[in-house]
Amino acid sequence: MIWSLIILCGFITFLIRFIPLSGIISSDLPLSVKHSFKYIPLAVLTPIIVNDLSIIENKNFFLIENLKLYAALIAIIVSIIWNNVLATISIGMASFLIMSNI
Amino acid sequence: MKKWQIFKQGVLQELPLQLGVFPFGIIYGVMAIESGLTFLQALLMSSIIFGGASQIAFVQLLSNSTPYGVIVTTVGAINSRHLLYSISMVEYLNKLSLSWRVMLAYLLTDEAYAVSIRKFINHSDNSILHYHLLGSGITLFVSWQISTLFGVWLGNDLPEFLDLQFIIPLTFIAIIIPMIKSKSTLITVISSGITALIFKSLDINFWIILSGLTGILAGMASSRWDKKI
Repeated sequence: MIWSLIILCGFITFLIRFIPLSGIISSDLPLSVKHSFKYIPLAVLTPIIVNDLSIIENKNFFLIENLKLYAALIAIIVSIIWNNVLATISIGMASFLIMSNI
Repeated sequence: MKKWQIFKQGVLQELPLQLGVFPFGIIYGVMAIESGLTFLQALLMSSIIFGGASQIAFVQLLSNSTPYGVIVTTVGAINSRHLLYSISMVEYLNKLSLSWRVMLAYLLTDEAYAVSIRKFINHSDNSILHYHLLGSGITLFVSWQISTLFGVWLGNDLPEFLDLQFIIPLTFIAIIIPMIKSKSTLITVISSGITALIFKSLDINFWIILSGLTGILAGMASSRWDKKI
């Protein structure tokens, strides 16, 4: 049963990724739709970041003592200054580990 | 540029992101074994589903004895954002053969998309750009399989102080900050972030998709005021 469940989830995931590329959707999309594409990665990845920072815990806001939030702010500053993936991840992670152990 | 050079560029641009992906794969592997999956099930799920966040949700729900229907729906909902990725790739990939489109659809995940869409947008006149997505996608695939293997191997031996899950939002921060180049892109981030907080606090289903759509609409509505920042 577990195997069927895994295969079904894999099939659904593939369909989600493939349907637009299958040709069902016309390539002559309206300009406004094409224009919206540049916002998709930002609009979808931001909520995932918000979720992973545990700002909402049990339907309540968790801000003041949220070390992940502070470390994320440091990472944002690092990314703005250096625009470097490795520096952003490593300094953000190091900040979090240091604050967690103080 | 030749095909293999574009492919190599995709590989090289994808590599730094593996700093975030690798620990994520290890976490998944550890959790999969803890949830009761066999070595083979845990390992092959990474090839069959190939979607990090949804795989972690899968094993979390499985370990809580959640009904299978809920697990399938959750995996679909988490991966539904890939529909938006795929839509935005149509204009670059729609002339390729079916086998190419099938292969690239399979490889179309968060990190591969984030790296390759920037290349596609900036060089839209190039007809062999799909080799870039092939390079970034294969790099991610290989890294995901190896890290899963490590996680499955490690089992419960991971040190507790390492909150490796925190690397995921850091990776996404490193991806999106350089993409904020105008007022409308900034408004997209702020509006999708705020609505995500509101929808999640209200426990609304599909809040990731709803807040994403809000961000896209806010970005489009504010594009008339665009001025580079």
